[in-house]
Amino acid sequence: MSDSPQPDLVAPPSRRRAFGQFWRSAPTSFKAGTIVLLIHVLVAATGPFWAPFGAGEMRTGVPLSGVSWLHPFGVDQLGRDVFSRVVHGGHIVILLSLSGTLLGLVIGAVVGLLSGYWGGWVDELLQRLLEAMISIPFLVLALLAVITAGPQLSGSPVMVALVVAFVYAPRIARMARAAALDIVTRDYVLVARLRGESAWSIMRRELLPNASGVLLVEFALRAGYAPVLIGSLGFLGFGMKPPTPEWGLMIADNRQLIFASPITVLGPGLMLATLVVGLNLFTEGLARILGRSTRPVAR
Amino acid sequence: MIAMRLITGRLFFSLFTLVLVSALIFIAIEIVPGDVASRILGRDATPALLASVRERMHLDVPPVERYFNWLGNIAFHADFGRALTSDQPVGQIIAPKVLNTLKLAAVAFLLYLPLALIPAALQALHRERPLDHGLSVINLVLLSIPDFLLGTILMILFVVNWQWFPAIAGLRDTASLGQFLWAVTLPALTLAITMAVYASRMLRDNLIEVLDAEYIRMAELKGLSRLAVLLRHALPNSLIPTLNVTALNLAYIIGGVVIVERLFTYPGFGSLMIDSLQLQDAPLVEATVLISAAIYIGANLLADIGAILLNPRLRRAS
Repeated sequence: MSDSPQPDLVAPPSRRRAFGQFWRSAPTSFKAGTIVLLIHVLVAATGPFWAPFGAGEMRTGVPLSGVSWLHPFGVDQLGRDVFSRVVHGGHIVILLSLSGTLLGLVIGAVVGLLSGYWGGWVDELLQRLLEAMISIPFLVLALLAVITAGPQLSGSPVMVALVVAFVYAPRIARMARAAALDIVTRDYVLVARLRGESAWSIMRRELLPNASGVLLVEFALRAGYAPVLIGSLGFLGFGMKPPTPEWGLMIADNRQLIFASPITVLGPGLMLATLVVGLNLFTEGLARILGRSTRPVAR
Repeated sequence: MIAMRLITGRLFFSLFTLVLVSALIFIAIEIVPGDVASRILGRDATPALLASVRERMHLDVPPVERYFNWLGNIAFHADFGRALTSDQPVGQIIAPKVLNTLKLAAVAFLLYLPLALIPAALQALHRERPLDHGLSVINLVLLSIPDFLLGTILMILFVVNWQWFPAIAGLRDTASLGQFLWAVTLPALTLAITMAVYASRMLRDNLIEVLDAEYIRMAELKGLSRLAVLLRHALPNSLIPTLNVTALNLAYIIGGVVIVERLFTYPGFGSLMIDSLQLQDAPLVEATVLISAAIYIGANLLADIGAILLNPRLRRAS
């Protein structure tokens, strides 16, 4: 007998050590992505307390005066400090992206899994409908949804999150259905059905846990593109309304004056790009951990 | 013939999807709050005037009937109705804009091919070496930059800094080829880069997979140069899986042109769509959205047909 301890006598690794092991063995892209995202979340959560100026505070410096220690991202045409605005906008961009994607995931997963479980003509009908929705290009569908929502809701954060969910849900539903089609052939689903469980309960207790890997990657993938979609809407004037410090909107506003002050565009652009880089790295690493391949998100 | 049967199946399927899309668009526009007649006439319209406008535009007809009239006119007469704001036939407004966008897309596509192929080939040949990793990082960064930001950065570089190109890509009918290219390069480059980063990533993985195959080893053992192996043997075989990405990219172009044309104030289909949405010009919105969906469906159909035709198993089964 060797002197190594019996397996059942080994204390389960402490949570901290388990995390340490997981972290060491995680792919580089996962680590890099996590770090970038943590920084972004930290800035977004605490930024409003330490930003040198308010989000709408005017006359903080000479308009369009360029980069200085006091104004690292310059000053916009109304004399607002772009760095402070960018920092104030962080939580808006992150919360909108996450809530919109999460809502789209919930709706898409429920519809997709149930559709795959039911099969038959309900499935057929739903799939044709989803196919039609997916056929309208991404951004065009979002724009159509915005004008359908009407002028009362325009510019409200709830509407923007709903539009993100509305655009994502059909695409996520298609993924979830594909996963469900594979899972429903398993014996445990048959057993659950024979036990007399309802479709909803089978979906929740048998399909959902087994599709969670696919759905998690899908969520991360979609969340990575959500800031771009929200930014694009803001950029085109169909998303958040001024003076909200949403990054896409700021890029659109300050773009008019790039001849005088390019930095006021590059500041919010840097934040948006690093957030998306972080999300993309995180997703790639996550997919590798879960043993799935990522594909670029269909825009 | 199996291939033929598959293709006709796909064709019917696409047509059906398109009809379903048209219904969705029509319903969406119906839901838009506010009455079209009062939107045209403004707040001070008299009831009599409102009624006459409604009658002229057939708004008094029930929606279902209106939908079938609209669809029938498009399907049989290629008639999309008249725009609310300018009272011109929608077809006449759209046609020149579509032409402009096609020109833009053609230039973008020409730039896209080398931008996608060259990095992918370099990466596949130098796999897991510094060049591959370096290009992967660049690819990831470009993948994460939204198109409106990428366009703005290109603008800052080439317009503000070096003043090589104009900031506004306005087109005149009398523009010579040189003037056209001068105006169109930056928007086309923006589109090309955003498309190429997706395709290049896919193509690299496909190329690496193909380069591991036996027949590549065979070609290498015959003494062919690396470049010859790549061009003659690997590339053709890795193009088929990339076909779908290219179809996807064609579809992306429609969303992309909306952003890029707005960014460079290029008078194309995307600008028209945004304008019509902002003015809530229902017939114009319906037409532009339907056309964009049709392009998406058409691109996917072509990719499917291409895959069917390129699949030797299906070809031989005839």
